[in-house]
Amino acid sequence: MDEVSRNLYAILGVPPEATQDDIREAYRIVARRFHPDANPNEGADLLFRDIATSYEILGNPLERARYDRSRQKFKDEPQYFSLRVTPSKRVLGTLDEPQVLYLLLEVVPMRRNAHKKGREARLNLTLVLDHSTSMKGPRLDKVKFAAQQIIEQLTAEDILSVVSFSDRAEVLIPAEPVTDKVTLSAMVSMMRAEGGTEILHGLSAGVQQCETHLAPRLVNHVILLTDGRTFGDEEQCLALAEEASQKGISISAMGIGEEWNDEFLDTLASRTGGTSAYINSPSAVVRFLNDRVRSLGRSFAERLQLSIAPDADVVLESVFKLLPSPQPIDIHPQPIPIGTLQHNRSASVLIQLQMPPSTKTGFRTMARLDVTGDILAAERMGYKVLSDISLEISESPASEEPPLAILDALGKLTLYRMQQKAEAALLEGNVGEATRRLENLATRLLAAGQEDLAQMAIVEARRVASTNMLSEEGRKTLKFGTRALLALPEPGEE
Amino acid sequence: MKTCPYCAHDNREGVFFCEECGQPLVGDQALATSQLAREERNGPRGQMTWGTARFGRESSIVVHIRNYAEPVTLTSKDQILLGRADQQSNVVPDVDMAPYGAVENGVSRRHAMIRRGEDTLTLIDLGSTNGTHLNGQRLIPHQPRVLRDGDEIRLGKLVFHIFFK
Repeated sequence: MDEVSRNLYAILGVPPEATQDDIREAYRIVARRFHPDANPNEGADLLFRDIATSYEILGNPLERARYDRSRQKFKDEPQYFSLRVTPSKRVLGTLDEPQVLYLLLEVVPMRRNAHKKGREARLNLTLVLDHSTSMKGPRLDKVKFAAQQIIEQLTAEDILSVVSFSDRAEVLIPAEPVTDKVTLSAMVSMMRAEGGTEILHGLSAGVQQCETHLAPRLVNHVILLTDGRTFGDEEQCLALAEEASQKGISISAMGIGEEWNDEFLDTLASRTGGTSAYINSPSAVVRFLNDRVRSLGRSFAERLQLSIAPDADVVLESVFKLLPSPQPIDIHPQPIPIGTLQHNRSASVLIQLQMPPSTKTGFRTMARLDVTGDILAAERMGYKVLSDISLEISESPASEEPPLAILDALGKLTLYRMQQKAEAALLEGNVGEATRRLENLATRLLAAGQEDLAQMAIVEARRVASTNMLSEEGRKTLKFGTRALLALPEPGEE
Repeated sequence: MKTCPYCAHDNREGVFFCEECGQPLVGDQALATSQLAREERNGPRGQMTWGTARFGRESSIVVHIRNYAEPVTLTSKDQILLGRADQQSNVVPDVDMAPYGAVENGVSRRHAMIRRGEDTLTLIDLGSTNGTHLNGQRLIPHQPRVLRDGDEIRLGKLVFHIFFK
């Protein structure tokens, strides 16, 4: 990593005019918070490496002077995005047991600071399309139609490749600028339904195509569309995805119908900062794909990565991405890819922390958040913003209403989690618990005015009680339906 | 520790929705507070828990937007359009929610309408993207609902209370 492009002073938490003594003292404080011997959290280790590097340079007057000189060119660098953190409570009460704290983290694009004559982001897009036998009929027809619409949307400044796969993969359109739209459309229409589903072949051919035009100023993205389950190659697919992510490619995964493995596609997408979606009818394919491509075109920053370093006694419990599209994300390994920052809306995640029993009053730090991203229009790679979160602990905090945005997101997230727990209970063979959880879910969905989903939950609860099984359709509808409740439409659209 | 009133699960402090059954743990309290405020306005417990629906010719409407101290008095027009002003599409609502975070809260340009009837007020959702909620219930678009004094209206995620003066 290029040290010059980063603000090392911010990492240590000192102003640029700090004395060597200030720097030593600041280092001592942050090192005590994040040194691996003192702090077992995964994110802390990662952060400490940055801190150590910063101190190595700034702690040495000669190195510091050299850094300051080469840093001149970044002196007037505008702010490309900023972090806004809203805690669920501003003041915590003293308590002799652990308590939960939520942080709503919003990454806010500062669009004015990277304006380039209204040009939207340019794409390096690869479509990986399933053409197995089960796609025959309206599914494949709609997929072709959707792909052709995407070709229409793109321009000669965008790169497109199309890979079709069944048990083998075929590069239908090698990666190239979208100039001859008629020919490209014709090539898409050649797809025939045949064979089984083996995602690894398709995915690796797709990633390969995307790689040929890999560029930091582009949105490098692979969209995988499948209706089947892949057998035996899932681990390899995930390894491939992680590799792709490190190179700067994100992957979105869309499943049509009931057969495909949602757990797998969720993981695949979340490890690369992409999104996953459930498409329940062939006619919805066109809308889903178009929406996806349109939102990629609104990209302001790509390859956003979040590191969360809680203080030693704080535990990171979960992270859920709310915007631009709701997605559960794995907290390991860090940094966590969170994908795209659109120019017209914030990206946001909800972070759940467990605070230790707190007896000492006063201000305390609880975590440091760090977001890095590549600003497309400014061609600024690895732009980084940090935020240290601290809170007051008081013996008698004034009662405060929780922030509406957090309450709202949590209310809906709770529904999604209830569905997940019901599924987990069933997987453990605990039919009674699964039934009870689904009934609870139905009650809550009804209270939330989601009558269709509530109805579905009741039907599935009965089905579980009598057959010990969920229907695939019901399970996926509930999972992606409750997740979709968290989505907000794009601003400026009605 | 917070014990869930619905399923008796012990939740850690700071949890807003029961981790076991999804019961709101803190919203309930907020709900109770607003309920109490309503009861105080309408006299002793057990009499009337709802505000009056009667809205006379000489009455006027005052709106309290959550997180904003200053109440807003609405015009006395027969139809009051709620939404957010947008220069591009030339929409000029009677009550512009833009200064109150309309965009972030998902308020549509033409979101909802308050209509003055004989001696009542009705609220109509105009097919807004994120919906209009009246006291927590989502309105079916284009179906008028009678407003009462003290009702909570939510446009997208923007919450306010309406009072008759």
